[in-house]
Amino acid sequence: VGSALLALPLGLVLHRRGDLLAEVAQGEHLRRHWATLTLLMTVAAALYGAVLGSWHGGLLTLYVALKMPLVLILTSALTLVFNWLVAVLLGFPLRFGQVAVLTFMALSVGSVLLASLAPIAWFFTFTSPEPTAAARTTHNLLYLMHTGFVAACGLAGNVSLWSALRRVAPSPATARRVYFLWVVTYALVGGEVAWALRPFVGSVYYPVVFLRDDALDGNVYEFIVVGILPHLWSRLQ
Amino acid sequence: MHHQTPMALPSPGRPAGTLAALDDLLRQPTTLLARTEAADGLAVGGRILGASILGWVVYGAVAGLFQGGGQTLVAAVKAPLIVLLTMLLCAPSFYVFGALAGADLSGRRMLGVMVGLSGMLALLMLGLLPVAWLFTVSSSSLWFVVWLHLLVWAIALVFALRFLTVAIGSQRARGALVLWMLLFAVVSFQVTTYLRPVLAREPGAPLVESGKMFFLEHLGQAWKVDGKGDR
Repeated sequence: VGSALLALPLGLVLHRRGDLLAEVAQGEHLRRHWATLTLLMTVAAALYGAVLGSWHGGLLTLYVALKMPLVLILTSALTLVFNWLVAVLLGFPLRFGQVAVLTFMALSVGSVLLASLAPIAWFFTFTSPEPTAAARTTHNLLYLMHTGFVAACGLAGNVSLWSALRRVAPSPATARRVYFLWVVTYALVGGEVAWALRPFVGSVYYPVVFLRDDALDGNVYEFIVVGILPHLWSRLQ
Repeated sequence: MHHQTPMALPSPGRPAGTLAALDDLLRQPTTLLARTEAADGLAVGGRILGASILGWVVYGAVAGLFQGGGQTLVAAVKAPLIVLLTMLLCAPSFYVFGALAGADLSGRRMLGVMVGLSGMLALLMLGLLPVAWLFTVSSSSLWFVVWLHLLVWAIALVFALRFLTVAIGSQRARGALVLWMLLFAVVSFQVTTYLRPVLAREPGAPLVESGKMFFLEHLGQAWKVDGKGDR
């Protein structure tokens, strides 16, 4: 029953996106499509999340399996109203439900792609040295690998969003403007939500927790530029 | 994507069985893919996969000649394991990459593409086998031999990429396929590291080392074995 429940939305995202978009453009079955895409996105993101957290063992595996879908859902919740307003103001009279389905379609595409990379991510995690204080380089390499995978899959999701907007927008110029604002907003907010919900890979210095005490200090871009890259650079010297 | 009609019977002078399938893979990949989707497709796929494994065993044995003795056998066993495990890990992402790029990948089609990929990699590696053998038996530098096999692997991957582009049938997907192939290469390096040592082993050392490490560190070890890291 579980596999049949997932096969349907998987087919919708991988093979029948054209049909989905036609119905979204007509405003048909929006609630059902949104629920289907949310289910698919949640399961796929949780699967990758479990692998992401697995370097630190069972507890972080469970935490990150919960947090990965949470990042996507929270970010969507924080940006959906703005995205809908922007579309309407730019002359793209979408209903709120249509914005929600388009957003979650892009997230589902990215999440399914991410889940398909889970075996590779698992293998790298499984064959990496254990998370001790001496394993900072391993932590940084795993962190970069996951960041790269998530970024690439996010990009794939964006490509599908762009195709969808081009298809349903009143003009290419409107599609471009709406797409740009949606993606920038989602990336900025998503980066900060993910940072607030850390740890994901898990630090080699701090204990495993669901949320850190300093959850709202700093952001992910700052951490990569100031923390990770200089360390890797020093290892190459 | 339109498939070419499969050739039903081998014509006089045309190789039969496994050789015919490998011949199709080289000359008419779409014909081979169509054959793997036919009623006897599983048998065709099985023959290509069997031939591929045999090819990797031979290549591994030749690679093991660098140290010789028991390591020849060890490398002959590990080489097919490296490629098969890499394919197993990367197959799900290939399916999703392909489907998102618009390819019509049924279960049989997917199987045909994966089998074709294995055959293409094995054929290229066998094609370069004499070169690999010559340098392997004449070289005393582990670092040099590592780079030699990396070069052979890179050439095989480039031609495998061409096969995949034909198999997917969409030039639009080429960028995604290049990315996937890079990922495939990186995964193969990590699998090799996991199954190390392949080319050379210290006397009395276990067949598979137990410590975990990233492939970059493994490459660095080969560098140090030759003493070049001290230069």
